Amino acid sequence: MVNTLDPQNLNNFSEASVSVEIETEDMTLNIGPQHPSTHGVLRLVAKVDGEKVHDVKPVLGYMHRGYEKLAEVRSYPQITTLVNRIDWVAGFSNEIPFIAGAERLMEIEVPERAKHIRLILTEMARISSHFVFNGAYALEVGALTPIFYAMEDRERVLDLIESVTGGRFHPNFNRIGGVKPAAGSGPTTKKDIQDLPAGFYRDTKVAMQKVIEAADQFQNLIGGNEVFKKRTKNVGILTAETAEAFGVSGPILRASGVKSDLRTQTDYLPYDQFEYDIPVGENGDCYDRWDVRVKEMVESAKIVLQAIDSIPSGPLQAKVPKVIKVPKGRTYVRAENPKGEMGYYIVSDGGLGPYRLKVRTASFSNISILPLLLEGALLPDLIAIMGSLDFVLGDVDR
Amino acid sequence: MEEFLNKIKENFINTDVEFETINIKVDSSQWVETHQKLKEEFDLKFFSWLSAIDWDNEVSIGEAPKDSVSPSFEIITCLSDVSNNNLVTVSTTINKLEPKINSLVEIYAGANWHEREAFEMFGINFENHPNLEKLYLPDGYEGNPMLKSFELISREVKPWPGEVDVEGMPEESASDESVDG
Repeated sequence: MVNTLDPQNLNNFSEASVSVEIETEDMTLNIGPQHPSTHGVLRLVAKVDGEKVHDVKPVLGYMHRGYEKLAEVRSYPQITTLVNRIDWVAGFSNEIPFIAGAERLMEIEVPERAKHIRLILTEMARISSHFVFNGAYALEVGALTPIFYAMEDRERVLDLIESVTGGRFHPNFNRIGGVKPAAGSGPTTKKDIQDLPAGFYRDTKVAMQKVIEAADQFQNLIGGNEVFKKRTKNVGILTAETAEAFGVSGPILRASGVKSDLRTQTDYLPYDQFEYDIPVGENGDCYDRWDVRVKEMVESAKIVLQAIDSIPSGPLQAKVPKVIKVPKGRTYVRAENPKGEMGYYIVSDGGLGPYRLKVRTASFSNISILPLLLEGALLPDLIAIMGSLDFVLGDVDR
Repeated sequence: MEEFLNKIKENFINTDVEFETINIKVDSSQWVETHQKLKEEFDLKFFSWLSAIDWDNEVSIGEAPKDSVSPSFEIITCLSDVSNNNLVTVSTTINKLEPKINSLVEIYAGANWHEREAFEMFGINFENHPNLEKLYLPDGYEGNPMLKSFELISREVKPWPGEVDVEGMPEESASDESVDG
């Protein structure tokens, strides 16, 4: 073995080194927790063999706030404030299954108008969540432009949510038995309850039309882009069987060809009154996951447009006791959130708060397939695969 | 739904429906077989979640159960069929002194993280689990935070200001029990 470079021996040396096989050593690569593509603070410890990634270990817990424990020392109305912060890009939809669960245990019939308002705002939350995905995902695979369009269009939807609830991200708008009187439309007194703000229907129609246009624009701008297609098609393929065993739900499951949507399968909100399609993918690759979400935005906009045309008049609140006590019992209520199945298993002992509250979040199960999907993937594909799962760390860690 | 419920009732002795949720109670020795059966014969291929409840009469936080319970861990899983509304929860009770149960990872791969979470939060040992280590908590963390005996330190240091929320407003008369719609 030649250790020093002797100019006279140089020829031999270079010949020798090409003839032996290069010994490579796995490098451990630490991605995150403070990496922009991790949507928060997810850390991945991956072994890298050249460009190939294997043995990926997600490290969770940087955003763990212990909501299940905190819920045990809070009353039911106080918990809605907490659950808002689970998936913060779609705060409104987090409240729905919890409130629906408490109402089911208390056997409260919610007024139709309140249900419709919930439905409209849930779909708006879905649209705004998918806008974030669209902008961020394009950015992650190297396209800088779409995020500016996405953020501008999302703002229009957030403005509408804000005009009703008073909050852009954390509305805390649902009450057991109905919804809170809307913000900014006059004084609240007990007898003179407020309703949706003036001009809401008109502004919603404009905004939803824009959403449909924006989705079309994304299809051209991102979906039609050759680079984007090359980066995402046939990358990170997930089969339906694997997805189900891992509890992967929502758009990711649908992209794998499973026509599953809790909006049609369960009755937590009156979705059966509206006509809409459930977009389904074919290959279960990153492109399909992106495509399903873009199509879903259009469907959500269609639901909102139908809902504001058919919204019934009437009260916003059912009669509920002043001090809310949930009778003894247990139930599991799930909902189709932007990221998949979210549900709450409420175990009540008849007290002011639940004895135990299990929070089932979509992103937690969705990213549990990361080690499997990333096995043997190329390093640049890691970002593309991770981004296509569209997770939020608040939804993973709770 | 009706047909599905009847089929469940035929196959499992201890079944009840509580607030639209079908629950199957099994002995902990039947834990794995039950899941195998539900997956294969009932098409419940979607693993939704697994978690546990700490039943105890003495609690350091929250409210203790009104009726006396025998201290135990209840382990619950939720399984569903993605193509329709079929959903069941399966529950079993295990001893608190020696909390252990067989892992479901071989049947449902998704149980892996859920079992790790229940392991660190309740201290339940899942036997035959491929890597039963902490999921959320840092390595040096001691204790199992979701146990009812585990104190919520922030509550010990500072009284909870939200406590007043749940009391009636002082100006309200006692007869006015409900809010008008």
